[in-house]
Amino acid sequence: MAAPAVALEQIDWENPEQVGLWKDAWQRFRRNPIAVLGLIIIALLVLMALIAPLLVGLHVIKDPLEQDVVNSYASFSLKDPLGTDYLGRDLLSRVMYGARISLSLGILVQLVYLVIGGAFGLVAGYFGGQIDNLLMRFVDVWYAFPDLLFLLVVVSVLPPSLLTLFLALGIVGWVDLARLIRGQTLSIKEKEYVEGARAAGSSPLKIILKHLLPNTLGPIIVSLTFGIPRVIFLEAVLSYLGVGIRPPTPSWGVMLQDGYQAIFSYPHQVFIPAVAIAITMLSFSFIGDGLRDALDPRMRR
Amino acid sequence: MAVAKGAPKRGALLSIKIPRGRGASLGFYIARRILWLIPVLLFVITITFFLAHLAPGSPWDKAGGRQLSAPVVANLNSKYGLDQPLAVQYIKYLLNVTHMDFGLSYQYQNHTVMSIILESWPITAINGALAFLLIVPFGIGIGIVAALRQNTWVDFLAVGFSTFGASVPNLIIGILLIIVFSVGAYRVTGGNVFLPTGGFGLDDHLILPVITLAILPIAFIARLTRSSTLEVLRQDYVRTAWAKGLKERLVVMKHVLKNSLIPVVSALGPTFAYLVTGSVIVESVFAIPGVGRTVVVAVQSRDYPLILASTILFALVIAIANLIVDLLYVVIDPRVRLS
Amino acid sequence: MDGSTGKLKWSRLATVMAGVALVAAACGTATTNNGNTNMASSDKQIYRVNSGTEPNSLDPGQQSYDYEGIIGRNVFESLLRPKQDLSDVQPAAASSYDVSSDGLTYTFHIRQNAKWSDGVALKAQDFVYGWQRILDPRLAAGYVDPFFDGTVAGGQDYSKIDPKNDAASTAFVQQLGLSAPDDHTFVVKLQQPAGYFKWIATLWVGAPIRKDIVDKYGSDKWATVPSQVIGNGMFKISEQVPKDHITLVPNTNYWGDQPHLQKVIVYFIEDANQAFSKYQTGELDAQSVPLANADLVQNDPKLSKELHKNPSLNTFWLTPNLHKAPFDNLKFREAVSHAIDRQSLATNVAKNQYAPVTTFIPKGMNGYQPGLADVQKYDPAAAKAALQASGVSAAVANGVHYLARNTTTNKQLAEYITGQIKTNLGLNWTIDVIDSKTVTSRIRKAQFDIYGPDGWGADYPDPQDWYDINTTNACHGLNWGCPNDPNYDKLVQEADQSTKDSDRIAKYNQAGTLMTNQFWVTFLYQRTSWVLIKPYVQGIKNTPMDDSLYVPGDFFLNTVYIANH
Repeated sequence: MAAPAVALEQIDWENPEQVGLWKDAWQRFRRNPIAVLGLIIIALLVLMALIAPLLVGLHVIKDPLEQDVVNSYASFSLKDPLGTDYLGRDLLSRVMYGARISLSLGILVQLVYLVIGGAFGLVAGYFGGQIDNLLMRFVDVWYAFPDLLFLLVVVSVLPPSLLTLFLALGIVGWVDLARLIRGQTLSIKEKEYVEGARAAGSSPLKIILKHLLPNTLGPIIVSLTFGIPRVIFLEAVLSYLGVGIRPPTPSWGVMLQDGYQAIFSYPHQVFIPAVAIAITMLSFSFIGDGLRDALDPRMRR
Repeated sequence: MAVAKGAPKRGALLSIKIPRGRGASLGFYIARRILWLIPVLLFVITITFFLAHLAPGSPWDKAGGRQLSAPVVANLNSKYGLDQPLAVQYIKYLLNVTHMDFGLSYQYQNHTVMSIILESWPITAINGALAFLLIVPFGIGIGIVAALRQNTWVDFLAVGFSTFGASVPNLIIGILLIIVFSVGAYRVTGGNVFLPTGGFGLDDHLILPVITLAILPIAFIARLTRSSTLEVLRQDYVRTAWAKGLKERLVVMKHVLKNSLIPVVSALGPTFAYLVTGSVIVESVFAIPGVGRTVVVAVQSRDYPLILASTILFALVIAIANLIVDLLYVVIDPRVRLS
Repeated sequence: MDGSTGKLKWSRLATVMAGVALVAAACGTATTNNGNTNMASSDKQIYRVNSGTEPNSLDPGQQSYDYEGIIGRNVFESLLRPKQDLSDVQPAAASSYDVSSDGLTYTFHIRQNAKWSDGVALKAQDFVYGWQRILDPRLAAGYVDPFFDGTVAGGQDYSKIDPKNDAASTAFVQQLGLSAPDDHTFVVKLQQPAGYFKWIATLWVGAPIRKDIVDKYGSDKWATVPSQVIGNGMFKISEQVPKDHITLVPNTNYWGDQPHLQKVIVYFIEDANQAFSKYQTGELDAQSVPLANADLVQNDPKLSKELHKNPSLNTFWLTPNLHKAPFDNLKFREAVSHAIDRQSLATNVAKNQYAPVTTFIPKGMNGYQPGLADVQKYDPAAAKAALQASGVSAAVANGVHYLARNTTTNKQLAEYITGQIKTNLGLNWTIDVIDSKTVTSRIRKAQFDIYGPDGWGADYPDPQDWYDINTTNACHGLNWGCPNDPNYDKLVQEADQSTKDSDRIAKYNQAGTLMTNQFWVTFLYQRTSWVLIKPYVQGIKNTPMDDSLYVPGDFFLNTVYIANH
């Protein structure tokens, strides 16, 4: 994700303008119907994920784990709006619960990116010199690593759990963010207000936290927005290959794997999670594109 | 940007590193970049080696049923040198790799890892090459047409397609294609005409996997081309020339095409890398026995030598693709200097 | 089938007139479809099948997977082969065999006219070499244990030999009870009497091997090039396209009648959906039906007519860890077994590709015990009562982790079983569906509560092949729960060493009753093979041992032919 980052590096993130900038950005974002559509869809998905247990409690939808084997592979019906899977479990309810896993994993893993990538980028960019060189060489090497392979091996080595998946996804994806933040830090640290703070004797940590981090926020937000669907996708791949989410927990990737087995007889089994993943990823893309345009000052003219 | 999400290599499609600086010769630069590969590969080998060996389970474990007895396992370990301390195995492996000896596969007894890679590599290469033949004309074509017809339904369609292709991962695209052209066609024609759901063959087996593999880079290059073309078209002298007449329009078109090349070239390296790394998923969906599928099976069966060799291969492909794109960049854009 | 009396007669006769009986049997199988007017021309005699996975090795000594059997069995020929009804053995490379009266010496008479595919005469020494090679620790053959090191005299020391010590390994194979007094007599001396030994002689891994070829190309290298794989079987390998297929063509030097088929193309298609679609487009002549497509096939007017359902000799079960709470508690094991509705599993989840099972020896095999079916049967009330009686605390009972390998069918079974446990016992178990290798490493170390499904398919139709699994010294080979019961061990040992079939079966039955009553494992199902076969493929002789489900009739390819169509 370095290319847009190159563009964003050219943004002049002047401190005094900050409030206006965020306001402007929101104005521009609102005027972008595609981005707003994406935001609405994601909001609906989040809402769906949040209220799913409530709906089960109110018997509006079925429990995603409730088996009804006599009624397996059922087609669309009033009882099971999206049909049922191989154990007769309600697909609508499983898609809704799957959203919980996919969205929360997608968002939480971004925190790991932020922590590792942020630490690497800020430290490298702020101190520069040998430290920068060393850290960035490490980042380069890490970058050369085929990450899906790495994930496959890691997920096989560690005991299977949501935590494992979370950590494994976290340690492979932070590199872009580290580069982005380093670039941002490099360009900002020579700015007058930072120099001033340094002259006034502020500690490096304080300068990093108080001045550098807030000023790199825009591009980071864009990068993280694009990071979410990537994690959702990786979860799907790993589950599809049988090393992801642990059953019987419904996740879109697991549903994809199950459904694929029956693709000839019951294509809707795999179609439903595939469409759910596609819509979610598209929506995040819309939002990401919208955010990038909105946060790019060159768009103001 | 969104493109990268579909790529198995993190951000592979956009890992364009433009070397800057002055004074260094091209030869020196290439030599340095190649030397840099050594620590990269050493790191990749080390991590993969220990990760693979630390993974629970042995290559001799079966996927169910009666397991080999302890004496047989001991004999196999002895035969393949797995009874030695891990550090010794590691040093031995490194020494062997220096003279291109990647050892024997555990899964396919007595076959060298090299021979297995050489068997699966052409399959991945054919799919990749065919995808590449689609990528350049379609990517550039869609991008330019969209830019020339900006804000018309053609543009809308092109942008819609490229957003979709860049956002929806190949795993999903592959499955959706199977649903339509294999299962759907099967049902509609009563089983008479439909595309194969997988496998490899120099016939209709190629269609779905190649399209699945190509969509992401096409979408990505179309986006790049569209925006770079728009930028050129916006410039005053171009607008003037465009307004003058047909002859001038042709001149403009040449200019536009030349300019659209720069982002395309920058995307070539990552595209190459993606065609290899993307094979992991595409070959899994379509059960194609190429390197991508081989890797997945190797991990599952703890075929350490095969895992290591494929990881090295993948890392090499990514590194070389990046090097080539950097060099091409220098050729095309004289402003770029080497460090 | 009631094979016990037949077997008794046979073993009594064996020492006296085995040769005669076997020759007669051979004549019986040789008269097939000759002169059949419906047979297609020879250029159309091509049988295209799918074994699912590429053989790991073409060296019979290094093969051990069922998907390798189609190649191993047809390119090489062992001493004997099973009869189609599995009631007994019939001659193959050996035209007859004799057993000494003490049951310790087997003498196989190799056919005078048997040849290798390159025309060289087959000799008894080739069997001596082939069997010595399997037992050579340096080869590390997968199938050596327990079939060969547990029977051949001197083989019991297999595990004590250091494979790095060439002299010791050579000395070890030299002292084995394998010899060839002349070119056509192969003599095997056993460690102890073994009434089942004739079946060991049918295993495809016990093939003869050409020493000159192995010496020329190297023990590990000779079988990596198909043209170097010189066999004595009915077919030979004409080409191998890695990752795609192997083509077999008739071995014109084979001693017996030539097969009708001029080519057998064995594809390695892993993906079930893909293989299924290839059958549909006519690129495969036979293919098993993936579970998810069961309804599709049954409801399709054309496919349903091409569907063949055959019972297969296997049993699948769940293995509890008998040395760890709560499964160290017999009542708790009882509760779990009674809580699982196997009929619903078979009909609704497996779409009748499974048959419910609650005993060890599968239906259709010698030693099947239908009388024991009720011991482990589905009975929710009994399950609840047993749970009560077990005295296992709710915390422990709910803390169970169900371990399974990460294939789709295993995962789906795990979900079904835990669903049953929840419904019928009110317990919430956790499912650990993980990477297959990790599962094996855990069960090897006994780090599990309950694991499944695991199962056994017959190598040969004798209960000995099954009961040995659960003996104490076989612990951690397949009996991961590790039962150790001296009574069981004693029964099985006595049965193994007996040469009297009725006596053997009676003792095995006692052992079966013991293990079923102790709930050492929870029996679940027996698979039924569902194979689609194109109507023009004729003369297929199925056996319930066609375990891989992929290549119908692969034990008797000599009778298969392609009809006009």
